[in-house]
Amino acid sequence: MAELVGVFGVPHNPLLWETLRAPYPDDLVRTAENFARFSELLYDSGAETLVMVGSDHFRKFFYDNSPAIIVGKAERYPIGYPNEIRTFGIEPGEVAGDVAISEAILGTKLLPDSFDFGMANEWLLDHAYSIPLSFLTPNHDLAVVPIHTNCNMPPVPAPQRFAQLGDYLRDAIARAPVERKVAIVTTGHLATDLGGPKQFLGGASPDAEFDAEAVGWMQDGALEAAIAGCDFDRLVTAGNVTLQFLNFLTGLAATGGRPATWAEGTASRYAAMSFFHWDLTGDAW
Amino acid sequence: MVSRYEVNKIMAYVDGDPEPLAEFSADPAGFVARWEARAAATHVPSLDAGTLTDEERRAIVELDYGALYAMGSHPYLLIHFARAVECDARGADFATWKEEYREQVKPHGYPDFFT
Repeated sequence: MAELVGVFGVPHNPLLWETLRAPYPDDLVRTAENFARFSELLYDSGAETLVMVGSDHFRKFFYDNSPAIIVGKAERYPIGYPNEIRTFGIEPGEVAGDVAISEAILGTKLLPDSFDFGMANEWLLDHAYSIPLSFLTPNHDLAVVPIHTNCNMPPVPAPQRFAQLGDYLRDAIARAPVERKVAIVTTGHLATDLGGPKQFLGGASPDAEFDAEAVGWMQDGALEAAIAGCDFDRLVTAGNVTLQFLNFLTGLAATGGRPATWAEGTASRYAAMSFFHWDLTGDAW
Repeated sequence: MVSRYEVNKIMAYVDGDPEPLAEFSADPAGFVARWEARAAATHVPSLDAGTLTDEERRAIVELDYGALYAMGSHPYLLIHFARAVECDARGADFATWKEEYREQVKPHGYPDFFT
């Protein structure tokens, strides 16, 4: 049986690819420290496979063909779209998949009765996945199962659905008929604006009130409050890509709504960086 | 509303690969004419072809980011399209240019971007 050993919530700002490099600029030291801390926690947990819950940015899934929630099932996943290589300097790469865990989530003959997942047998991963991997597992030595949730192209799944996904993933991992230590890595945003008037404010959050409340939900394990607080209009008011915060509800729910062992909105030149961790190893779980 | 899809589609296509970015940046009007001609030539939809309204075509060709933002194109796609053309292809300094962009979209607040 597989074992869930930790749940993480991390940022994936693609600009970090070039800016989060030693020697770190003063405003990014804390972000670098948090990624290093989380990487250490991840390896200390013994995780072998990362179930990654993120949102592709219009590259693999576009408006002509947009699944609500889709799960990868492949032996390998290539990394790096041409526009990301050009604009952000992201290097192409590849990471191993874990088909056994994909099958535990998707089923083989029938989907689970609780989720009508899509399935992708081939998937070029974008920066929603490659940025977390580049700082958590820079050698790409842990396998991944990517999951895309549609947080970018409304209508998006309801907040409750993200929580149900977390519940489902916890149970599916526990039932997986393989010996495997698994971590769930969720990625999204605190209050973040892109393309609107509040983007790139030079370190000021577009909505510091939302950030404080959202980090509090994770600190307190306040799942119901988080679901209630993630009203569509509230999230978009906090910044037009803040809908990706919904992925963190999946992480919180996967723990059964426990207080995070680490919850921080880290100030930087960009919007606040989300760092959430739940230690589920040993007696802690 | 469906028309927002067409604007999002051409912006994502231009940003997506080196060839369309170079072609568009060198000749926006010519690129859009070819984009629409491909769509007119077949009933089969494709991600390298589409049809724009007169105002959408004007805004894309003239790189009127304020208008594109106001009509409800997806702001994520808009900023990356704009940055690709202005900074990656034409060499503008991003730090300076992003403030010019902000002034163009600021008057329009936060329009809906449903498709």
